[in-house]
Amino acid sequence: MTLPKITTNLPYEDFSPETDRTWVDWIHDMDDPKQNYLKPEALDDLTVIDASYGSIAGLFCSSILAEFGAEVIRVEPPEGDLAREFSPFGYKHQDTGLGYLVEARNKLHITANLATSEGQEVFRRLAAQADVVIETAAAGVMDGYGLSYRYLKDINPRLIYAAINTYGHFGPDAGCGKVSYDIIDQARSGVMAVTGEPVGPEGPQPWNIPTKEGSWMGWYAGGAWAAFGVLGALHYRHVTGEGQMVDVAPPEAELSFCDYHVAYYHTTGKIRGLVGAYDSAVFPYTIVKTKDSYSFIAGFSDVNWEGLTNIMGDPELRKKYPTIFDRLNPDFQPEIHKAIEAWSKNFTSQEVFEKVQDYTLNRRGPGVVATARMADVKENFEDENWWERGVFDKGTDPVYGDLALQAPVWKMTGTPGRIKWVCRPIGADNEYIYQKYLGIGKTQLQEWKTKNIV
Amino acid sequence: MSREEYLNWTNKAFDASKIFAKPEALHGIRVLELATLILGPAVPDNLGLLGAEVIKVELPGAGDTMRSVTPYGTFWKNASIGQFAQNHSKYHLALDVRVSQGAEIFRRLAKKCDVVVENLRAGTMDRWGIGYEQLREINPGIIYIALNGFGQWGEYSVGRASYDAVAQTVSGLLATTGFPGRLPLKTGVFVGDYFGALQGTIGVMAALHHRDRTGHGQFIEFSQGEGLMRVLDWSWLYYYLEKYNRPQTGNRDLAICPSDVFSCQDAPVAVAAASNQEFQGLCTAMGKPELAKDARFSTISARLKDENAVALLAIIRDWAKTKTVAEVDALGSKHGFAASPILDAKDLYESPHMRARATVFEYEDPMYGKMVETCCPAKLCKTPGRIKWANKPVGLDNDFVLRKLLGLRTYQLKALAEQKVIGKWVENPPGRKPPADWDGKAGVIM
Repeated sequence: MTLPKITTNLPYEDFSPETDRTWVDWIHDMDDPKQNYLKPEALDDLTVIDASYGSIAGLFCSSILAEFGAEVIRVEPPEGDLAREFSPFGYKHQDTGLGYLVEARNKLHITANLATSEGQEVFRRLAAQADVVIETAAAGVMDGYGLSYRYLKDINPRLIYAAINTYGHFGPDAGCGKVSYDIIDQARSGVMAVTGEPVGPEGPQPWNIPTKEGSWMGWYAGGAWAAFGVLGALHYRHVTGEGQMVDVAPPEAELSFCDYHVAYYHTTGKIRGLVGAYDSAVFPYTIVKTKDSYSFIAGFSDVNWEGLTNIMGDPELRKKYPTIFDRLNPDFQPEIHKAIEAWSKNFTSQEVFEKVQDYTLNRRGPGVVATARMADVKENFEDENWWERGVFDKGTDPVYGDLALQAPVWKMTGTPGRIKWVCRPIGADNEYIYQKYLGIGKTQLQEWKTKNIV
Repeated sequence: MSREEYLNWTNKAFDASKIFAKPEALHGIRVLELATLILGPAVPDNLGLLGAEVIKVELPGAGDTMRSVTPYGTFWKNASIGQFAQNHSKYHLALDVRVSQGAEIFRRLAKKCDVVVENLRAGTMDRWGIGYEQLREINPGIIYIALNGFGQWGEYSVGRASYDAVAQTVSGLLATTGFPGRLPLKTGVFVGDYFGALQGTIGVMAALHHRDRTGHGQFIEFSQGEGLMRVLDWSWLYYYLEKYNRPQTGNRDLAICPSDVFSCQDAPVAVAAASNQEFQGLCTAMGKPELAKDARFSTISARLKDENAVALLAIIRDWAKTKTVAEVDALGSKHGFAASPILDAKDLYESPHMRARATVFEYEDPMYGKMVETCCPAKLCKTPGRIKWANKPVGLDNDFVLRKLLGLRTYQLKALAEQKVIGKWVENPPGRKPPADWDGKAGVIM
């Protein structure tokens, strides 16, 4: 496959506009992540206080705002956020867990003990000057400190206050006070109830149960929807000058990714079970074993099904399941899956890909078939394409040294996000932030340190 | 008592019965959509939940491909249930942008819009004369987002179709989901599409804030495979530091221990206890308080060590077997560790909590009658999200949109219809037309 030539022109290089450039060249020049640091930032007028604790949802919300340029101040208790402990096998990099290191980007870190009256006053004064507050405690905890939205709105009517908690801040379950982690968010979202391998011919096995998504998807969903709510509230504030409270429950955030889940039950009275390699609304749209790995392959509509069976050289299979209704029949899906796998396991994933691309790009017959070779973490991290695309960012943090992280996901011609530093130790920015926002100097901080206030 | 007082206040501030008594955050923002399936259409849908006016442009006749994607081929009231999920409160215009008159109408609409959303192959819009380069000439404030599988440029962006599951497969999510040695698991929902659309929406809203400040629009590019790679938490960093190639670990969380799913007598239960205090609570609940002092388990980092974690999870697994889900759930509340049953669609549909929070949202649609769907998970107390009506048949709002926004007259609309520049639904394939008992009027604005 020949690719269009891609040119990257940084603004300070010799640059002459051409009139015949393709869209691809043009847009690559316009939104190349290599130019990000030369462009303005969308949210650099905002100050955000992130008081979340033990929650990657809160951290991801403020990561998004920080990537877009907001000054994010993390407020941790004097001993630090529990989330600093979240790390595979307890692995630490300079006393910090990897789960935290990934979502601490561009944030300043201070400590304040919110259980003390001095700490509460510090928080109130910060909130008075902030645009956004983020917190993840159970409903009522911040209120007990006098720091919930109903108090802070009187100090700062422009404040946008985002509360992220599994059980929410209103509704019958909001006061339950239960603790929660990502696994609980995923369990309550409806996603787990359909993710997993259904029981096969060998009977029930330990893995035939609802299964979580590999990463902290419940937390990430919650953080992303909270950022959405904050940005919506920000536009409303731009128009009216008024702030407001945003309440996000991560299970509901993940439920919003659940297709027609609730509507299907409403319209038919039925629920879907574990789908495994099958799918209730498009099939074949499946994961199959290959000689060396696994591949995704799809050929759902009649014409694409024809394409897939042509590639497989199996017209009989096409005739056996001629309509989408046959292919969506849950009784037939295991048979169809088996037939495709019987073919695919003779080839490597790369060979399957080449066969599909040869058929589709050279139009050897009707239909468009999609396939993809499963990539794992190692392959992706070492794949030059993703580095060229700016998916990862490697750099030297002044404290944490050389690290590589996933970068902001948007390529933008105007105000792309970016990573400036990775993380800060507990309380590392106390002097700077207390000085800048509160007029509190070293002497006072020293005294408060002895009283466990900072 | 104080918590009760607070909850009285929040329940009042967020009262779902007052949703339509309050303004909308994105009122006055107009979005033009030329997109199919989920990744594209869900972006304007998200914006529409907060009040943006969305004009969904489809090809006359068959319209959005998603109109064919519905669970087990169920065409409820002649509609695809899959199509409803990301097409709320939109105006449905069926316009053939591939012909010059259609492209001109699209450009005139774009001039009056704030946001354009498309998910076509890179360069297609440009070829039709309605790409970002052309639209920004006529509307410099336009925020234009293009979403697809592999981006607008780069080695993988050429000649490859993408779906949600492609994104799951190439991103590493598939390779890290499921049980060790078993089938790599697709997430049972289109997470690469819906999460991708949400990430795209966030980009649009950040750009909107910039435009509020400066008046400048911009182009945003989003790839759904890259979107999922962003949310694989510590996978990349650990690989960079220790060359650890993250495997499938079932329901066990390698970074929080215990955090797993255990089989009870009746069903599985999710349990987690990260802090020492929570863990002590769990040990007490299990009747094994001594475990909390066991050197293998007494600190967070000790519990996370592989051999200790395996031993601990086995102990909890043995205990859970003797309990019911309700018992473990109640013990979690009593002793302060996290526990929950696995909820399915029926549980959520029937949950009074979900109804009170308007996350499970009931409304009466003019064409389809009583609808129950999931609504905006971000609750804004002054400008709550809402659903106004459901997805409509192809081209139902042609006349209204073109008359209201472009001032087209009856004879012009007729001519455009005759020349097939605009059009309505077809009988086949199924999923395009109104319900069989439709009276020809319900849901038609003009």
